[in-house]
Amino acid sequence: RIMPVRWSRYNPSYLEPEVKKDSYQKPLEELTEEEREQMELKAVRPIKAAPPTLSSSVFSDPMVSKFTNMMMKSGNKVLARSLMSQTLEAIKRKQLEKYHKAPENEKETIECNPYVIFHQALNNCQPIIGLSNITKGGKTYQVPVPLTDNRKRFLAMKWLITECRDNKHRRMMMPEKLSQELLLAFNNEGPVIKRKHVLHKMAEANRAYAHFRWW
Amino acid sequence: TLRLICTTTAVQRKNVGASGPEKYTEAFIKKQIEEFNLGKRHLANMMGEDPETFTQEDIDRAIAYLFPSGLFDKQARPMMKHPTEVFPEQRKIQWGEDGRPFHFLFYTGKQSYYSLMHETYEKFLNVQKHQDQLIAQDLPLQKEKRNLAGSRWLTKIELEEMLLEKLSDDDYSRFIQLLQKLVALPCADIEENYIQKFCKEVPVQLQRVVIEPLQYDEQGVAFSTGEGKRKTARATAIVYDNGTGKITVNGTDILHYFPVLQDREQLLFPFQFLGRIGKHDMVCTVSGGGRSAQAGAIRLASAKALRSFVTEKEVEFMRQAGLLTVDPRVKERKKPGQEGPRRKFTWKKR
Repeated sequence: RIMPVRWSRYNPSYLEPEVKKDSYQKPLEELTEEEREQMELKAVRPIKAAPPTLSSSVFSDPMVSKFTNMMMKSGNKVLARSLMSQTLEAIKRKQLEKYHKAPENEKETIECNPYVIFHQALNNCQPIIGLSNITKGGKTYQVPVPLTDNRKRFLAMKWLITECRDNKHRRMMMPEKLSQELLLAFNNEGPVIKRKHVLHKMAEANRAYAHFRWW
Repeated sequence: TLRLICTTTAVQRKNVGASGPEKYTEAFIKKQIEEFNLGKRHLANMMGEDPETFTQEDIDRAIAYLFPSGLFDKQARPMMKHPTEVFPEQRKIQWGEDGRPFHFLFYTGKQSYYSLMHETYEKFLNVQKHQDQLIAQDLPLQKEKRNLAGSRWLTKIELEEMLLEKLSDDDYSRFIQLLQKLVALPCADIEENYIQKFCKEVPVQLQRVVIEPLQYDEQGVAFSTGEGKRKTARATAIVYDNGTGKITVNGTDILHYFPVLQDREQLLFPFQFLGRIGKHDMVCTVSGGGRSAQAGAIRLASAKALRSFVTEKEVEFMRQAGLLTVDPRVKERKKPGQEGPRRKFTWKKR
């Protein structure tokens, strides 16, 4: 019997919407076979409505929206969004300060774009391998397991947020602390990177149990 | 194997016809049909209409008028339909008076399914033989690719209705795999008639919607209207041409009505997608819903209004970007025995 595990208001035949304008600007000849089939399929099937967080403007970034949603508490998206913009502003300010103080030859190496810093910091925080609890013969072992892309991104963002919420001075604001952490992660320093390395070392130590994994 | 994860109630229709041999005798169904016809004439009399020309639509309207019901499930409301629609087709008794079954595959349990598989495989072997003949004669094999996007295979429920027999997911996927193998062969055009029985036409272009032409007001400025809804918010938008990009909502500017950046981004989304930010003026009215729902409703209304200003290709691009679909997500109802739609009460051991 088919049991619905999760259900959605859309029929299963609805496809995800494609918001970016460049994919529609491409002329027909440049597409590969797969893309042509995908286009034909899209012409026939109905498409879901675009969610309110997604937009085709240059300012909307899916990673930034995901991070904002994870920071949100009790559905207060306004507050989360303002914290996020204050963080990006704080990053920009710090980088500009550094830029103006640096000597001429180092000016080109300093990255000022807060989005680039955000993406690079998240990439540096992503673990490559994770641990999962597998029970065999009554004992639970921590087995090293490969992680999917989504899971890596989720873990990186989660660690960043928990780190900022726990280890800060009582009076320090979230944007300030977050911008600090992001800049440290951008340069591969800081507590989040340390946590990633600890996880990698644990996985390396438990290499012997890797054969317990059956998937 | 196919496993439905996200599904709506419409997809889960049970197939009563395949559950077993006759539950209703033929005499019973005949009596139901007579009663239905008699009842139809009485209903026509009651409504003051002509009994001879009383169609099914008139029956539905009359029943909805006489027994109004606000129940959510359409199947739970009172309805009066022809007995062949209410009592689905069933299989007749499969064995004769001496107890001997008619079909040679009766004792497999799924006789129609296995006979179908045998038939399909026979066609498959036929096509292969034909192919070998062509190769032996050194003739070229025709390879015309069937248009896959325009048709789909029958669903499991439709196949069950066709065979009047219950199928399992495994059986269904095996059958579909066999059909796909058959279609993949180059000379499958011979058995095209047979394959057509298991195909269904999907309307090739989903552009069944009629795009209204532009209207012109007193100064000769072109404008068009659109309506949109999201959750409980309803919005109407009027988009004028030759504008400066000003947007007015319920008499106030958008900067005052939507203080949040996300809502204003949603309003500008259709214009930004088409690249027409400074070219149109918009006046909209919106009521109901919350902050985000009103923004979504206006977005849909403006996208619908912009359809008249734009080429068909761009309308198709807008549809593929998800701007023209009504968002069906609404607040889920609270269930009895639970605190909210999903949250259960705190579990106490004693």
